[in-house]
Amino acid sequence: MNKNRKVSDFMKAYGTVLAGIIIVIIFSILSFDTFFTFGNFINITRQISLLVIIALGATLVMSVEEFDLSIGAMASLGGVVAAKMAVSGMPILLCFAFPVIICFAIGLLNGWIVTRFRVLSFITTLAMSTVIGGFTFWFTGGATIFENIPRSFTLVGTKSLFALPLLSIIMILLTVIFWFTMRHTSFGRKLYAIGGNEAASSVSGIKVIFHKNIAFAICASLAALTGVLMASRLGSAHPTGGDGLFLQAYAAAFIGRTVFKEGVPNIWGTFVGAAILGVLANGLTIMQVPTFMQDLLTGCIIILAVVAQKIGYGDTK
Amino acid sequence: MLLQTEKICKQFGGVYALKDIDFQIEEGETLGLVGENGAGKSTLIKILTGVYHLDSGAIFWEGNPAEIKDPCQSRDLGINVIHQDRNLIPSFNGIENAYLGLPYERKSGFAVDWVKMKQKVEEVMAELGVSIDLNLPASMLTPPQKTMIEIVRAMMTQCRLLILDEPTAALTDREAEMLFETIDKLKKKGTSILYVTHRMDEIFRLTDRITVFKNGQLVNTVKTADVDKEKIISMMTDNWVSEKMNIVKEFGDSILEVEHISSKDGIVKDASFTARAGEILGIFGLGGSGRTEMLECVYGDRPASGGTIAIDQNIIEKPSPAHSLEKGMVLICEDRRGKALVGSLNVKQNIVLSTIDNYTRFGIVNEKKEVSSAKNQIEKLNIKTEGPSQPVLQLSGGNQQKVVFAKALMSNPKVLLCDEPTQAVDVKTRQEIHKLLRRKADEGNAVVFVSSDLKEVLEVADNVLVMANGKTKDLFINDGLTAERVLSHCYAD
Repeated sequence: MNKNRKVSDFMKAYGTVLAGIIIVIIFSILSFDTFFTFGNFINITRQISLLVIIALGATLVMSVEEFDLSIGAMASLGGVVAAKMAVSGMPILLCFAFPVIICFAIGLLNGWIVTRFRVLSFITTLAMSTVIGGFTFWFTGGATIFENIPRSFTLVGTKSLFALPLLSIIMILLTVIFWFTMRHTSFGRKLYAIGGNEAASSVSGIKVIFHKNIAFAICASLAALTGVLMASRLGSAHPTGGDGLFLQAYAAAFIGRTVFKEGVPNIWGTFVGAAILGVLANGLTIMQVPTFMQDLLTGCIIILAVVAQKIGYGDTK
Repeated sequence: MLLQTEKICKQFGGVYALKDIDFQIEEGETLGLVGENGAGKSTLIKILTGVYHLDSGAIFWEGNPAEIKDPCQSRDLGINVIHQDRNLIPSFNGIENAYLGLPYERKSGFAVDWVKMKQKVEEVMAELGVSIDLNLPASMLTPPQKTMIEIVRAMMTQCRLLILDEPTAALTDREAEMLFETIDKLKKKGTSILYVTHRMDEIFRLTDRITVFKNGQLVNTVKTADVDKEKIISMMTDNWVSEKMNIVKEFGDSILEVEHISSKDGIVKDASFTARAGEILGIFGLGGSGRTEMLECVYGDRPASGGTIAIDQNIIEKPSPAHSLEKGMVLICEDRRGKALVGSLNVKQNIVLSTIDNYTRFGIVNEKKEVSSAKNQIEKLNIKTEGPSQPVLQLSGGNQQKVVFAKALMSNPKVLLCDEPTQAVDVKTRQEIHKLLRRKADEGNAVVFVSSDLKEVLEVADNVLVMANGKTKDLFINDGLTAERVLSHCYAD
């Protein structure tokens, strides 16, 4: 193996991580005392926690070569349902669990339509997103829920344990669990096999339909959980509060695909992707860059990341 | 002389697909082109239509040297080809499809003159004696109507040579007859026709002369009136008797019993066979006979519409790959990259793909066990790889196929369904695979071996079952069985 190949292999494997580190270094130089502090890094982990959690689910669905575009709508739904339940005085645990269960069912429905009728998941979940959005609007009357939310409901979203926000801890736990599942269990292996070659997986006796359904259901559950945690953090729930997370989640997952040389959706990659997006948002805000510039930069970075990956694979025309 | 080729050669990966072909077609004649699978018929068509470029040799069109660099140039000369998989846009209507690739008629300015276009298409249709509702999209047409539209399209321009490649493969007899009537009209118009088919009766019904290809070479060109079917078949095949290598005649109990299965899509119409312990059952059929589809049906990977499949006398209620594997039946697919290997996984992960659950505890994969089993298979099958973690697509074709076998053997199958298991592998691997299949049979398993290479079937199988038109036909004991005899049954009716 010659030296050039080694360099290009290294860039393929760690180029994205390297880019992330460079971004951190640039921000550190530009505004050392505000950006490069322990407090700010802790802050970043909390800022990215919701994005990471919803993106984990998106990664799962992407690993079977499908898409779930309804995750944003499900996050919004999860948030308002949990908030309403909390306002009406239901047990906090139930407020957290019930939206997740509902969305688990919606995820199964998504999966069923996609696998049973062989409809593109793209269009199925896009339509489902509209349906959920409509329902959420009807359910809330379009109003933000913020009055009379019990303090106990906001504990998870606001408290810290040993200086680490609970949200960050949940994010780390879920990331580790999903990494382990995808990397070390037969379930994860089967998902990757289906994503790699559905026909071959089916011939090899893997229950493709079942696994796709489960992937959709887990993705939906995580979306709902994200919405609930968001409501808990903000102490309020807006009927479109989670919608914005959807694009960011896929951005993270797509950047994540470029981490590690196999070029498949993967959990650590998604985490790194979300972290890069989080650092960018955080750093640019500290430097008081206007929001439109942030969007512009973030978009460009996503395009760069996916183009870089395609070039790395010689998969261009 | 309309078209003449001089010493055309074409190689793929160092193997001659065509060698020194001196091929001629006269103005206004209908020439039949026959040969076994892999004889080079398709390669010649692709060279004449500009899909492939020849390595050496020359093409002459009306006596002048001609270069055919791409399909457009071929069409400009006046060569049109009609494939069995028809090239129509499903959502386009008859007029739009007839004008595919042709400039649309214009009124003054930019507007398309649909009336004039319709007139032109109707003129061509009248000439050919065809009537089809031009307002219907191609997806609503019957198979022969689609073929007709393609012929109409070919005749829209100055078509001098029409190449028909297995045009009747998907047609019923009556539909084929309609096509033949149109071909007769084209002949009267003086269009030269190159007719390529496996079906002998059509060759004799339609052609003036017949050119026979074998192994990439042109064997002979004869006048149709001077020969008969047997003569042509004997020219297509080497007079080759099976080598008697370990052909078994005594078998154990029947393991796999398939009775009257048919597929939902209608490709498999009625297939029955029994595979016994210790037997290698060869199944041979020409392209389009439904052999691959039949195996997929038996394995449960293609929806069946009727019939029963039983393993050890237990009928499989809901055939699916998972159930088949459970009962001890595996399928080695013809389409290696498409249906057998997962390219994004490595060698080890592919080998254990269908048995992964045997290596888990509480769903967690025991990678040590997994690796040692995979290594075991790699050693047993002599797979050339850097190690179990090498990406599977980095292996050579032969070694990839061994990985497919390794995966299949991991589940200790009682029945091995093999579809073209030696396709595109080198001679050595081919032999290793043959030996492996014999060993598996000797261990008391049943092997079903499907190949489009008749010689190979005769080399390996104990018994040979012929398939044609989606149905299983005669069963032969492979004892002094000749290729000619098997083929004559394939070409029957």
